[in-house]
Amino acid sequence: MKEEKQEMEKMEKQIAMVIDLNKCIGCQTCTISCKRLWTNEPGMEYMYWNIVNTVPGEGTPRGWEKMGGGWKDGNLNYGKIPTEEEFGKAWEFNFDEVYYKGNAQKEHLKPLGDRPEWGPNWDEDKGAGQFPNSYYFYLPRICNHCSKPACLAACPLKAIYKREEDGVVVHDGDKCKGTRLCHSACPYKKVYFNTAKNMSQKCIACFPRLEKNVAPACVRQCPGRARHFGYINDKEGQVYKLVNDWKVALPLHPEFGTEPNVFYIPPQLPAKLNPDGTIDENAPRIPLGYLEELFGSGVGNVLEIIKKEREKKEYSELMALLISRKWEDMMKPFHQPPVKEG
Amino acid sequence: MTVKKEKENELPRRGFCKECVKYSVALSAFSLFPGISNWAANAAERKEILKNPLSPSGGICNPAPVDFEKFYRQKWTWDKVHLGTHNVNCWFQQNCNFHVYTKEGKVIREEQVGNYPQTNSKVPDFNPKGCQKGCSYSELMYSKPRILNPLKREGERGEGKWKEVSWDEALTDIAGKLIDTIDRHGSKTVVVDPGSNIVNYLAFYSMFRFFDQLDSVILDVNCELGDDQQGAAVTFGEITNDRSADDYFYSDLVFIWGGNPAYTQIPNFHFLTEARYNGTKIVAISPDMNASAIHADYFIPVKPGTDSALANAISYILINEKLYKHDLICEQTDLPFLVRIDNNKLLRQSDLKKNGSSEILYRWNLNINKPQQADQATLNLGTCNPALEGEFKVKTINGIVTVQPVFEFLKKQLADFSPENASKICGVAPETIRKLAMMLVNAKAATNTCTSNFSKFYHGDILVRSQILAFILSGHLGRKGSGYVTASFLVPDGGVNLVYELEQVKERGLYYMAKYGASFWTNLYKSEDWRYTLYKYHIDTFVDSRSMVNSTLFWNLHGGIIEVSGRTKEWDPYLKRNINEYIKETLDKNWQVLDPALNTQPRVLFSWAGNSIRRVRSSQQLLKVLWPKLDLVVALEMRLSSTAMWADYVLPVNGAYEKTTTMVANTNTLSPFLHTTNKATENTGNSKDEWEIACLLAKKIQELSIQRNIRTFTSARKRIRRFDEMYNTLTATIKENESEKISKKIVDESSNLGDDAWNKMKKKGFVKFTGVGNDPANFGNACDIKPGETISPHTWHTENKKPWMTLSRRIQFYIDHDWYLELKEQLPIHKNPPKAGGDYPLVLTSGHARWSIHSLWRTDPLMLRLQRGEPFLLMSESDAQKRGIADDDKTKVYNDVGYMLTRVKVSPNVQPGQVIMYHGWESYQFAEWKSYRNVLASPLNPIEMVGDYPYLKPIMAVRQPGQNDRDTRVEVVKN
Repeated sequence: MKEEKQEMEKMEKQIAMVIDLNKCIGCQTCTISCKRLWTNEPGMEYMYWNIVNTVPGEGTPRGWEKMGGGWKDGNLNYGKIPTEEEFGKAWEFNFDEVYYKGNAQKEHLKPLGDRPEWGPNWDEDKGAGQFPNSYYFYLPRICNHCSKPACLAACPLKAIYKREEDGVVVHDGDKCKGTRLCHSACPYKKVYFNTAKNMSQKCIACFPRLEKNVAPACVRQCPGRARHFGYINDKEGQVYKLVNDWKVALPLHPEFGTEPNVFYIPPQLPAKLNPDGTIDENAPRIPLGYLEELFGSGVGNVLEIIKKEREKKEYSELMALLISRKWEDMMKPFHQPPVKEG
Repeated sequence: MTVKKEKENELPRRGFCKECVKYSVALSAFSLFPGISNWAANAAERKEILKNPLSPSGGICNPAPVDFEKFYRQKWTWDKVHLGTHNVNCWFQQNCNFHVYTKEGKVIREEQVGNYPQTNSKVPDFNPKGCQKGCSYSELMYSKPRILNPLKREGERGEGKWKEVSWDEALTDIAGKLIDTIDRHGSKTVVVDPGSNIVNYLAFYSMFRFFDQLDSVILDVNCELGDDQQGAAVTFGEITNDRSADDYFYSDLVFIWGGNPAYTQIPNFHFLTEARYNGTKIVAISPDMNASAIHADYFIPVKPGTDSALANAISYILINEKLYKHDLICEQTDLPFLVRIDNNKLLRQSDLKKNGSSEILYRWNLNINKPQQADQATLNLGTCNPALEGEFKVKTINGIVTVQPVFEFLKKQLADFSPENASKICGVAPETIRKLAMMLVNAKAATNTCTSNFSKFYHGDILVRSQILAFILSGHLGRKGSGYVTASFLVPDGGVNLVYELEQVKERGLYYMAKYGASFWTNLYKSEDWRYTLYKYHIDTFVDSRSMVNSTLFWNLHGGIIEVSGRTKEWDPYLKRNINEYIKETLDKNWQVLDPALNTQPRVLFSWAGNSIRRVRSSQQLLKVLWPKLDLVVALEMRLSSTAMWADYVLPVNGAYEKTTTMVANTNTLSPFLHTTNKATENTGNSKDEWEIACLLAKKIQELSIQRNIRTFTSARKRIRRFDEMYNTLTATIKENESEKISKKIVDESSNLGDDAWNKMKKKGFVKFTGVGNDPANFGNACDIKPGETISPHTWHTENKKPWMTLSRRIQFYIDHDWYLELKEQLPIHKNPPKAGGDYPLVLTSGHARWSIHSLWRTDPLMLRLQRGEPFLLMSESDAQKRGIADDDKTKVYNDVGYMLTRVKVSPNVQPGQVIMYHGWESYQFAEWKSYRNVLASPLNPIEMVGDYPYLKPIMAVRQPGQNDRDTRVEVVKN
């Protein structure tokens, strides 16, 4: 594995994203922006190419972290194919019964059918731990446009390809016949099935926008300004600096082996409280073990670096990057507006 | 090749072997697919290729398609783009500049423009703003709850039986009923609830003009809904006071105290996360670990409604250890003002000489060892060195009295609030209280995030008064990044010109001629103190003007809510008299406005831009007591809301993107931009905009009045008004199809939007406010807006020494109104929250939701799918366990005034003893429509009814009785 890693060349033009978990406020604007642009047609109702989960939590699909997939010792792993229930169905509602059928107060607005047991954001704002030292944060997830995509490897029909110009991984809808082996192989479970068109689909990194140097919708529309975006090898870009210079942006579950191109700045939550109500400045609220589960063993060190830079009185390049006073700097060279002014 | 899909996780079977159901068998299934054997056989080759799928040698393992990519490219296309925003009352978040994309005339999506400026290079810029709600408005506007045609009720009210009728039929019927009602019963029997969506200026202008023509009762709902900011109103004299979101970058300490900006200030929250990286310390104080607290450096859980004890303890430390900022409080506050120890009243000139003023107050000048008048025109101390401590003797016209500065009284009362004592009340450890106090002392610039939360507590005024005290004592006021902020508010001042179009103002003009005639107005702007004079004019004339009526009193006394809320004495341990006594006194003495009079029955109710059945606490009482009195209930609505379900007529109003309008009232200093939203598409269905509806209705009234020969009516001020000219008068300058002119008018006539504002807004989507302007509603900000600088409020006081709009002309902590003295609330000293609704173990708190602006998005499927589809009560793990309640269980939540039926969400972030129901859910989202309104006792607090005190008089939106709910006590059982 290590040998492969060293031989592995990142593509010349590979787009990558850094999501700052200190800035994500779980508003799901990214989720909705993606939905309104790409997945608002019949057969796509349950799809959330982007979703934000509250963690610790079972996530979307439910229990995805244990569903398998990815690479192990150079071999492709086939994991579970998540069901629509596990993703969370797109509930329809009994509007007519409530509004127009003369049911007075006997009907109330709710999802049709049996009470759902899960939804794509069912455990929002829950997390783990015990009050007042409970902890949670938000984890936005999209397709990672991996450099070693398990989905691509798994497709028996070669219907998944990686674009040369930007490394975006796309399902070719003309070739896909719906075997769903990609669902099984993707360890992040970010592939969906279009029930109207009988094909698999997933995040396409908004490549039509990239072609116009416009950042993906989830990046550009995020009000939290939580996402940095650019070419992974652009030494002047924020992504490169955060991933390679400062090394504070970490991949999610690197052990899956797919070499994801989405990275995360780990979160720092408030100080814990002692049983007597005094503040413990030193004990981390999020157990380090949990963060290591997500981001690997380097996460503790990353938190230290960020803390140190934040305490500096003088200029810190890292803080300047994470603050990004100019919003456009976060997505260069994809900072062009979709519509030119004037 | 179409393949029959059996189960979700099954490989398509095509009638092949049944074992192909498990994923583990996928490998063997490879043999079923064409070309798969090639793939499997070349596993080694595949591995090699996959090392670098697009290797320099050109070995592409999966070729890119020739044609397929256009499948996605064509999705991201559009015919036209318009600039737009959302005319909703998202207040602190407001508004965000969007591009609205249409295809074949229909809106397909929207996306933030991202063209806000960066104020200066030190601070982050405002981009992109927006939130998930605005980014999906294009879905909401066409979704199922949308009403396409006027609806007329068939069957009983609330039954849900409707007939679609034409506009003509609906308006004819409504117009006829209006004429009959006013003719027979008088104009004040027609009542309009403007709602909170009158921030859309089209709605505001049309509502005010139309109902002014009819001399109707126009309800003032701000205090009722709980945005009254009473604590700020009585302490600062004005409630508006907030910094721009980028000014937070100058704060080294930010308290998120009581609010939840991660939910309610989504577009601006990044300024806080960025400030945090910049070294700012963030402290979140709230009962539960809400979504904002996770972004703080410290989370301080506090028992609900006890923040005043915490604040008092901080002040205790500051005073006892002499850490307070002596010079600041001497100059800016009433803490050095002299109070008589015999009657606890402020020493007044009227005490010292015959015919002396009751508004001139005194400080003890240590330089001359005498009491000295406090200057009313400036805060400059001049040669005065005021005493904060000591006891002095003063010769009054009735003999020698002993006086002490307010500060001495404060010290005495704060003595009960040592950190150890306060800790027992608020649940914060003494050392932590001390830590917070020292953080405030040591911070260069401390501030808080604005919130409307505390206004919704019974003692909300004390909560905020005590917080302001702690901030002022520690020196944080009127500087960059420094000071306690209250309501964020900044409006285009062209709106004041509306008065020239109102009949009621013309009528009042005659009434006021002597005192406020032409010379008053011509001389007004010549004086240096003109803002104070103007503000005082509004304070002194609001009640008499009866231009708007406090909705809390209306709903309580005409709507039967008093049966619930009048039980204050049962729940408030400090109240000695029954609330009815206070109400009688306030109405007899004309301190607060109630129309129609108690002996006059309301008969027609319009819901113009709101949702009273959803909004009003204990609204079930309205259905029981008020609704039977009403001959006609009309709701203008985009969608079938709770109120619409109980109406006789529902008139479909159009929404954002379907009309051009501009915003008022939710515009603010926080994001100091004024937006237009432009017409990008035709009205959905047969909806119309508010102005067109008002004009068409006026036309019907005019026509019918001539037909029936009921051409005039008499106003409450006994003047003749004409039905038969109503349409002509209404449309004298703007016709029903010229709505855009309404927005253009307010923009053109505003002095605080810069030059050529309308054209700039049309081109860019917004303009930046250039100043506070001439609208008294803005004066509380008391600062300039300078290009290249962030906005820091209150600098006119701290830098220019301009007085405050209070009795003392200082930040007023001591209020000697008789009721304040009776209730022992003259100083901001903590009082335990009432057990509203009865002695039950759980406190029901609330807040505005992430998922909706009020109720507008509460029924939207896209939003509901990302929640749990139905409302839920948040509950702590221990409380749920004790009651045998599991996550998502159905429960009954009850107290002495009612019950609701709801599911539960168990969360480790909720404080034991607390339960939370976020706001905005429609009544019909609860089983049997038993919503949380049923348990909200909302006890009336007499302190909000005072009048006849120089500045403690109601004006529009401020210092009126309000509703509250965050002290509600309940029990929860599995249902």
